[in-house]
Amino acid sequence: MEIYREEFLGDFRFVEYKPFRLERPAYAVIALPDAGLVGVIGAWHIVKSLKLEEVGGIDSYSFLPPVVVVSNKEIKLPVRIFAKDNLLLIYSEFMLPQVGMVQLSKALLNYIERKGVEYVVLMSGIPIQNRFEVEKLRTYYIITSPRALELLKDIEAVPFENGYLVGPYALLLKESIKSRLDSIMLLTESFLEFPDPEASAKNVEIFSKIIGRPIDVKDLLEQAEVIRIRARDAMKNVVRNLAQMRKEYEYTPPLHI
Amino acid sequence: MSAEDEFERLWRRIKEVEKSIRDYVEEEFRKTLEDIRSELRSIDRMLMPSWSHEGYLRPLYTVKDVGNAYVIYIDLPKVDEGSIDVRFKDNLVMIRAKLKEGLTLSNWSSRGSEVRFYEYREVIELPIRIDPKKVRVNVKRGRVQIIVPKE
Repeated sequence: MEIYREEFLGDFRFVEYKPFRLERPAYAVIALPDAGLVGVIGAWHIVKSLKLEEVGGIDSYSFLPPVVVVSNKEIKLPVRIFAKDNLLLIYSEFMLPQVGMVQLSKALLNYIERKGVEYVVLMSGIPIQNRFEVEKLRTYYIITSPRALELLKDIEAVPFENGYLVGPYALLLKESIKSRLDSIMLLTESFLEFPDPEASAKNVEIFSKIIGRPIDVKDLLEQAEVIRIRARDAMKNVVRNLAQMRKEYEYTPPLHI
Repeated sequence: MSAEDEFERLWRRIKEVEKSIRDYVEEEFRKTLEDIRSELRSIDRMLMPSWSHEGYLRPLYTVKDVGNAYVIYIDLPKVDEGSIDVRFKDNLVMIRAKLKEGLTLSNWSSRGSEVRFYEYREVIELPIRIDPKKVRVNVKRGRVQIIVPKE
């Protein structure tokens, strides 16, 4: 692991392995473990399909487990940063404790803002109780600015009108508003406790339309069963953390609208 | 109403209150015990590897209390649906199912890459005795739903 540049944002150490510059308009995807691992499964497919390069990583001795990722014999940091052309993608399979998530959200948005990112796309699953029966999945969106809405023209997604969002993406949305970033959150109906590559595929299809670059999800759907096997351990760890964050609160209808 | 009747009525009322307090305490105690056991099970599941050197995988599963029943969902990707075998004993659900084809972790991880997996195995504990005649099992796209009525 060669280090070209490093900086500390709060308790997080951001490392760049090589110099990179994003073309305009620049998009950032932040993929963190949440319901059905929908975000991270989709993000990994984007990394592979668009052949994004691993340009950096993020570490924290306070909030991340003492872990390194060994990828093709090379040591990488647990939160991984990929980039190519006008796309920056930040990916973590590790779930942070709640206090760490707050700090990481702030640090991530600070970092991507300084990288010149104009739009942030967050992709996740929204758990539904009857996912076992449902085959046609619906996608909802939440936006943080009218400018972000312009990207959703002619896109098969409906606004998330009322309800709660619990977990890492709720924090990222709050921080996006604070940082005045144009962010879009895509939420496709999914399982909560099982990896859900079908929901990831739906998000990736919409993301591909948003950025105007084709991303084929055929491979993702064909590999869905293999992904479900591979993702079992990651899912198991995430479920426990989501329970501590009171993820089940998302099923609750708000008292007042 | 005689004093004896009045006493009898009062005594019955005291007994009723005593029973409802006992029921309440027992129910709360049962719930707390169930929570502790469920927490211990989840810690146990977290620390156990999801595969065994004996050639089987442990599936992800979840148990939901839906009021009149417990519903178990089990994720069995790459399963041969015809081979799913679910058995019940007391409060245990035992599941075994063959994979459509043998599988190794060699492309994904150096750990366990030498092992070939052929089936799923899991034992799930419920807080009630199961009447197998009343249980319903549904399979859809490699996922199993088991509905266990409480009565």
